[in-house]
Amino acid sequence: MNHDLSKLPGIFDRYPKHQQSLIAVLQDIQKEYQFLPCEALEETARVLDVPLSKVFSVSTFYNAFSLHPRGEKVLRVCVGTTCHIRGAAQIQEQLESQLNIKAGETTPDLKFTIETVGCVGACAKAPVVIVNERYYGPVKVSDYKKLLRGK
Amino acid sequence: MVNLTINGKVVQAEEGEVLLSVIRREKIDVPALCHHEAVEAFGACRLCVVEITRQEWDGWCDYVTSCLYPASDGLIVNTHAAKVNDLRKTIVDLFLARHPKCPEIIELAAEYGVYSTTYQTVVDGDNCILCGLCTRICDRMGFHAISTVGRGHGKEVSPPLHKAPPDCTGCLACAQNCPTSFIEYSAAKGFLTIWDKKFELLKCSGCGKETITKVFAEHLCQERKIPFEYFQICDECHRKQLAATMGEITSWDREAAS
Ligand code: SF4
Ligand code: SF4
Ligand code: FES
Ligand code: FES
Repeated sequence: MNHDLSKLPGIFDRYPKHQQSLIAVLQDIQKEYQFLPCEALEETARVLDVPLSKVFSVSTFYNAFSLHPRGEKVLRVCVGTTCHIRGAAQIQEQLESQLNIKAGETTPDLKFTIETVGCVGACAKAPVVIVNERYYGPVKVSDYKKLLRGK
Repeated sequence: MVNLTINGKVVQAEEGEVLLSVIRREKIDVPALCHHEAVEAFGACRLCVVEITRQEWDGWCDYVTSCLYPASDGLIVNTHAAKVNDLRKTIVDLFLARHPKCPEIIELAAEYGVYSTTYQTVVDGDNCILCGLCTRICDRMGFHAISTVGRGHGKEVSPPLHKAPPDCTGCLACAQNCPTSFIEYSAAKGFLTIWDKKFELLKCSGCGKETITKVFAEHLCQERKIPFEYFQICDECHRKQLAATMGEITSWDREAAS
């Protein structure tokens, strides 16, 4: 897959070119493209002078990074302890069956992605679902329509 | 220098030296799968656990990984206390659950009397115990070709992007230090393949035996200023040649003496 990598130099320019900038650069790339294209990882390794293996290790370690294109709407279901107790599993199941994909997957039309995350620090509102940057909670199973609005 | 007691014997160690190195010096056998003197300790396998205490601890004990714990004056170490053996037994039991087909793990477990795991077996598990030796050693070699990828259940060792690693030189240091022989490689017809990357092997000009990869030899030549000709001959042939050279030297000696 070829991606327009023209945004990369601008991102690199924001940070000093060394290993410490790695996460910040990856975050910006993720934000720009909604995922981390392979070519961008290679370019990052080259520009920051960090081994490609380290770039790959970091980009696969954090949930915030994705190596595959994600949907326009990323639905992140919190499955942390509190949300789990308050029924996160049922919400996850409902979203999965509505969109016909599993957590970690993206609909073929690139509209939706479902992901699970650990505690997001909003236990008071458990169970929590984050749609792109916006937090929803407490979410009921029947709230799926609201979460998927724009489908 | 500090004085500490290991299994009842007073021994000396450098201040801050890790217990495992003192234990090894004393020729005491303690399992340590993720340890290699060339790289920084990692504390991944937990097998090197020992019991420590001090006079002033009043009978209270602690259990620490000896590859990470520094020696200090007055420390009393027991490498095979009953509790330590129990802990190791639990660890090998867990390893066995995760790597039920791994010969090295099966053997180690048997040493601790564990013949089948008491935990639930991972069915399609592999033999990588995620000790991180391969990646640390590759880093130490200066290549940084492989790393751990992902985390939690999905964590694994892999080249970047799951493709043949661009920085790999085929030096085999990772494969030959893997405690469970998990890293596969094959050498055939002048080529070595590891991590799906194919390397040309050098051939000894003396006996025709295949030696190291050309890429690795070139790297050593460049980094260590070794002439390339050095690698065009294998170790055995080097030694044979050495005998000839030494022979010549002795005969000169004789001539000089007469
Ligand atoms: S491949 Fe071998 S050396 Fe590398 S982490 Fe796995 S068990 Fe350890
Ligand atoms: S064979 Fe490749 S991956 Fe293994 S230690 Fe050598 S350079 Fe690293
Ligand atoms: S567990 Fe979901 S916000 Fe804390
Ligand atoms: S050798 Fe100490 S934890 Fe593995």
